[in-house]
Amino acid sequence: MRGYVAKRLLIALVTLVGMSMVIFVLMRLAPGNIVDIIFESAGYVDQADKKQLEHELGVDRPIPVQYARWMGELVSGDLGKSYRYDMRAWVIIKPRLPVTIELAVLALFFSILLGVPAGVVSAARQNKPIDYVLRVLSLAGLSMPSFWLAMIVILLFVRAVGWIPSITYVSPFVDLKANLWQFMVPALAVGYRSSALIMRITRSAMLEVMREDYIRTAQAKGQRPTSVVWRHALKNAGLPVITLIGIEFAFLIGGLVVTETVFNLPGVARYLVEAIQFRDYPVVQNLTMFIAVVVVLANLTVDLLYAWVDPRIKYGNA
Amino acid sequence: MPLRRSVRLAPVVVLLVLAISLPVPAQTPKYGGVLQIHPLVAPPSLSPHEESTIATVQPASACYSNLVYFDPAKKVESPDTVIPELAERWSWQDTYRNLVFLLRKDVKWHDGKPFTSQDVKYTFDAVRGAPDAAAKLRINPRKLWYDNIEHIEAPDPYTVVFRLKRPQPSLLLLLASGYAPIYPAHVPLAELKTRCVGTGPYKLKDYRPGEFTEFARNPDYFVKGRPYLDGVKWVIIKDRSTQIAALQAGQLDVGGSGWNRANAEAAKKGKPELVVVESDSNVNDNVLVNFQKPPLTDPRVRRAVNLALDRKAYLVGPRLGAATFGGAMQPKPTGIWGLPPAEVTKLPGMGDPARQKAEARKLLAEAGFGPSNPMKLTVSTRALAIYVDTASWMVDQLRQVGIEAVLEQIETGVWHPKMTRLDFQVALNLTGTAVDDPDAMLFENYRCGSQRNFSGYCSEEIDRLMVEQSQVLDRAKRVALVNEIDRKLQAEGARPILGWGKQYAVYWPRVKAFPQHENSIFNTSRFQDVWLDK
Repeated sequence: MRGYVAKRLLIALVTLVGMSMVIFVLMRLAPGNIVDIIFESAGYVDQADKKQLEHELGVDRPIPVQYARWMGELVSGDLGKSYRYDMRAWVIIKPRLPVTIELAVLALFFSILLGVPAGVVSAARQNKPIDYVLRVLSLAGLSMPSFWLAMIVILLFVRAVGWIPSITYVSPFVDLKANLWQFMVPALAVGYRSSALIMRITRSAMLEVMREDYIRTAQAKGQRPTSVVWRHALKNAGLPVITLIGIEFAFLIGGLVVTETVFNLPGVARYLVEAIQFRDYPVVQNLTMFIAVVVVLANLTVDLLYAWVDPRIKYGNA
Repeated sequence: MPLRRSVRLAPVVVLLVLAISLPVPAQTPKYGGVLQIHPLVAPPSLSPHEESTIATVQPASACYSNLVYFDPAKKVESPDTVIPELAERWSWQDTYRNLVFLLRKDVKWHDGKPFTSQDVKYTFDAVRGAPDAAAKLRINPRKLWYDNIEHIEAPDPYTVVFRLKRPQPSLLLLLASGYAPIYPAHVPLAELKTRCVGTGPYKLKDYRPGEFTEFARNPDYFVKGRPYLDGVKWVIIKDRSTQIAALQAGQLDVGGSGWNRANAEAAKKGKPELVVVESDSNVNDNVLVNFQKPPLTDPRVRRAVNLALDRKAYLVGPRLGAATFGGAMQPKPTGIWGLPPAEVTKLPGMGDPARQKAEARKLLAEAGFGPSNPMKLTVSTRALAIYVDTASWMVDQLRQVGIEAVLEQIETGVWHPKMTRLDFQVALNLTGTAVDDPDAMLFENYRCGSQRNFSGYCSEEIDRLMVEQSQVLDRAKRVALVNEIDRKLQAEGARPILGWGKQYAVYWPRVKAFPQHENSIFNTSRFQDVWLDK
């Protein structure tokens, strides 16, 4: 097991280095750079001043040198300076991380809470009215773009009760109740879409498992149907569901741009888009690396969970 | 009997008339409350001198003071509405060559240090890029404004003298703009990008880039009894629907920055008690026709493009009926320097659409373009709804005269660099200047070589006339000269103006004395007189 984890971590490291190169090069291939943007948006370009700023920011150096410098800073825990805001990048990124993580975790929580039971019930009652209802609901969840759903939710709230979640971030350490109210609605809006996906995967995996011999045996031995479904079938149908949950979590960390924008949550995803627009290289690079790390770790966690769910899987000889 | 009844009723009628005609007693302002409002977009920094966006001026104005400022209570800014702030009084000397300010002696910076004339000299030496300036701004977008200052003297702690190269009465107006706050000489310029040390009615409480900027009442503010509010919070809300919902839900007191008529009406429809104030603004929709890129180097092609754009269709189309027509300067009556209304109706694009389009086709044919050889044009614009709506309409108008136009949306970060490099054919742009004054508008946007002269237009004669008008002391004569410049600019299609947009302030009735100027959106956010009735 240890050997497997070490090997996976090594592969993860190589993946991250590759990712860092792609991110770094892509940012520099995009037209425009921060110095042009800073000077020319002000309608003022003094070539000497511009050169001095390029030198200060280090964007006048060859790309490999810039890359090496960034890697050096990253290893030493220094995330550099935001070109746009002229502040340490960490100062800007730090308060945004808990916002996105909280939203992603809550959304995932709701998606599992809704998706897994719905998938199980749908499979256990295949082709019954409840199955049709749940399938329609899941199809609706998959069909509705999350930005549309989020806007509709906001509009419905303001029309129906004259209330919307707080438009300024409330930390859970300051006011837990207000924080939960603030995150509940966006988490449900996002979680609904994810739950639809989880429901469908759970249903199809369950249907497959329910046709297995050992399920028929359990039923023949007189086990209660609920016990067969929830204890035997669900556990064996869990592998694809866990994989999907891992992928969904990784997606949520970087894919909440619209939700964060509509609900005005100052998270990572919304800020990443703004940073890309302004070619704020240090912020974009470090945030994208953060998302890459989350994706890699989520995948690793999922793989390790396989062994826990299915004892037949052994990693020792992998 | 009727006469007797009339006589009996007479005192009642008199009392009623009196009651109606007597002024309603003004409400007594209340202290307290935090005003929640949203800016146009997230401010890139808190340093107005280093930025060229209203997004910085909006929040930062609460923190700073100017030497002089435009009276927030007066709707139209003019030389007559300039009021003292850090300067107790001022006087022009030597036929508008020297401007002398006598400063207040009771002013302290937010960190407790005393304000003196050295701060004024320090600020404007830095902004004008004086060789012996004590500090240098990294970005200096309005250096051009102060080009005419030869020297600034601070003979004693409370006197400042601006010595000019030539008379320039408009300098006082430029100094009254939200872009002309006084900076503290004892705080490094770089620090002012993220912290605010001013002398204004509010102190910076918290600044979170991209999230909010919060100010708290300055108890040592030099205007006694002000401000009324405990604070002001500028909350950044990127999504327009969320801005409207937040206002309707009462989480914002004021909305409207960057809204169009449809947004304001949507907000009002949801909450009829909201107050909607629509007024003129000094922001125009203009067409950048690249004078340096063929085929637009041909004046016939430029004129054809100008004629093809039916201004009345623009008004009812992308602007939803909310715009006024004019030339390079904001139109009358809210604009001071605009062309006479009778002349505006004769500008290119204002006439009969069918005839103008026919003339456009004829000009294009003369230039060698026709159905067998259609002209291909890319209409570039910033990828923001307020730009894209009008640019899409432009594409349609150009196609109606046989131009094969396509739309190119440019992301915000690359937009200005692209314009500055003249890397486009035709573009739809929005332009606003801080002060409704020719020294700001004309010099910035039409002078040969100016960084904001995005169409590459250049005329020595216009440049000469610009300098000439700047020195004219008689207002009527100066207006006449500015009109002459405007006529020439419109005739040459230097930067065809589609129209001047309206601005909106939408707020709850509890918000009182909320300032809105009809010829500038940049000079109203001090908020020292605003109060909340709750």
